[in-house]
Amino acid sequence: MKRFAGWTLASPATLLVVVFLVLPVLATIVTTFTTPGGPFATYAAFFGSGFRRAVLFRTIQVSLAVTVIALVIGFLTAYVVSRAPGWLKSILIIAAVFPLLTGVVVRSFAWLIILGKNGILNSTLINLGLIAEPFQMLYTQGAVIVAMVYLFVPLMILTLVGVLESIPDDLIQASSSLGAKPSATFMQVTLPLAVPGLIVGAVLVFTGSFTSYATPQLLGGEQVMMMGTLMYQQAMVTFDWVAASTIAAVMVVITIAIVAAMNAMARRLNPMTA
Amino acid sequence: MNKFFVTALAISATAMLSAAPAMAQGKTLTISWWGFNGEKLESIVLAPFREQCGCEIVFETGNNGERLNKIQIRNGAGVDVAYFSDSFSQQGIEAGLFQKIDPAKLPNLAGIYDLAKDPQGGYGPAYTIGRVGIVYDTAKVATPITSWEDLWREDLAGSLSLPGITTTAGPMVVMKAGDHAGVDAFADQDSAFAAVEELKPNVVKNYNTGSEMINLFSTGEITAAVAQDFTLGQIQAAVPTVEWAELEEGAIATLNTVNIPTGAAEPELAYEFINFILSPEIQQQLAEQGVDAPVVTSVELTPEQASLWTYGADVIAGLQRIDYAKMNAAKGGWVDRWNEIFGM
Repeated sequence: MKRFAGWTLASPATLLVVVFLVLPVLATIVTTFTTPGGPFATYAAFFGSGFRRAVLFRTIQVSLAVTVIALVIGFLTAYVVSRAPGWLKSILIIAAVFPLLTGVVVRSFAWLIILGKNGILNSTLINLGLIAEPFQMLYTQGAVIVAMVYLFVPLMILTLVGVLESIPDDLIQASSSLGAKPSATFMQVTLPLAVPGLIVGAVLVFTGSFTSYATPQLLGGEQVMMMGTLMYQQAMVTFDWVAASTIAAVMVVITIAIVAAMNAMARRLNPMTA
Repeated sequence: MNKFFVTALAISATAMLSAAPAMAQGKTLTISWWGFNGEKLESIVLAPFREQCGCEIVFETGNNGERLNKIQIRNGAGVDVAYFSDSFSQQGIEAGLFQKIDPAKLPNLAGIYDLAKDPQGGYGPAYTIGRVGIVYDTAKVATPITSWEDLWREDLAGSLSLPGITTTAGPMVVMKAGDHAGVDAFADQDSAFAAVEELKPNVVKNYNTGSEMINLFSTGEITAAVAQDFTLGQIQAAVPTVEWAELEEGAIATLNTVNIPTGAAEPELAYEFINFILSPEIQQQLAEQGVDAPVVTSVELTPEQASLWTYGADVIAGLQRIDYAKMNAAKGGWVDRWNEIFGM
């Protein structure tokens, strides 16, 4: 009876998700199998093209790099924030979340000003006499990664602060009273208990980077094309909707596979479930 | 009392009749265009046209690709007048989205340059004409650029921006690369793209919108670009030392066309509007205000006004034309090859 009530209450939301998310995605994917060339022709074309393989590989590479860097920076920051006294904690969280108050485009644009030939970084290096000619930093894979890390670290911090705060202080104290050094306490108590949060953060950041459009478009251009920018080009410029749908399908499958792999890893690492 | 009522009725009826011709009463014209220069177009074109037709005007704005896509999704419906650059209107024609034009309904066609009257085989006329050429910063490029060949110069290493392959001017770069290699790019793609590959060391980043390229100039990322001349004024506002290169082979002509989609709800109103924007008075004002270069032969500009424009019979005679039907047929394959060079 209780279960029945739960389903009834959840049905409007479920219906919304099915009608507005699941069905359109399925319809998009179905179109890729119904081309004259046979059911897998579009996929053969996608994986048969060296350029498309390179874009896919680059997208995975960039997303994983962003995820790892954001995990490290986010975890360290969140650890400091979660250990701070109450009044300071609020200030630190506001400071961490501050960049989220502006749009993705604005934040990416800021990096144009920092990394440009006449930008802050190059001017400083030239004025210090460290370099004679400005570096070409914009429109490289590095620029895209740096900007995306900047975009996603706040998300990571927010996710992890909650998790780290929920680790009871008693556990930490128990660990040190049993003779563990701070480093051992961190490795054997804090880190394993933070794994669920790390995974949620990693999944958020990875999917966000993998599907991003504005940042690679602004800071990478054609030279650093990623799946999002390639899909836009296929759909809006060459009007090849089937090719764009194929890219979307490949992205969906890869995202699900990588998220599943992260979850499996999490289960193995988490002392609560392992 | 009764007398007063009748008078009031008569006055209001007269007012209503004089306000608008009964013909277009309550009609709405839908225009698809870029959305640039909105205020100037409102005062020069839209306000007087509303007065003439007594109709409402609504818009669909965006870049060429997005807008053509929308018309295609609606099977040619939803818009009465569609502004496109010629390579995109050619795509629209090939997709069967536009009606043939009846020249008898456009008396003002008689006053425009021959190349603008019917550029695409029975479809819409061009209302403005532009050039694709090279712009460069004279303060940073020591030797003047005088030829398309100069794009390959070594002193431009890491300081050039090309229009992306999916823009109006992008495929023209491939054609010029064909010239550089001494082949016809349509017949011998391999040699043409080998020449595009030779350009790679000079390219910082390719651009997809005019504003993106203007930013590249103003932030000092580039010192030269292949560009359309309507961007020149804005580039010079940001970087005064940028000049239009006078190329010995000549620049390439681009035409912006106006078409009536197949599903237009108000085709007669669309004809009236197209005829209106081809009138000498409107074309004169648009040119003087720096909106669009004129196609009407009788428009007179001062040398200063003309300096930014593709203006005058001599300039127009010196332009190279492109076979868009051929170009669009090749474009699909070109996009991939271009991506392979710049996107790997």
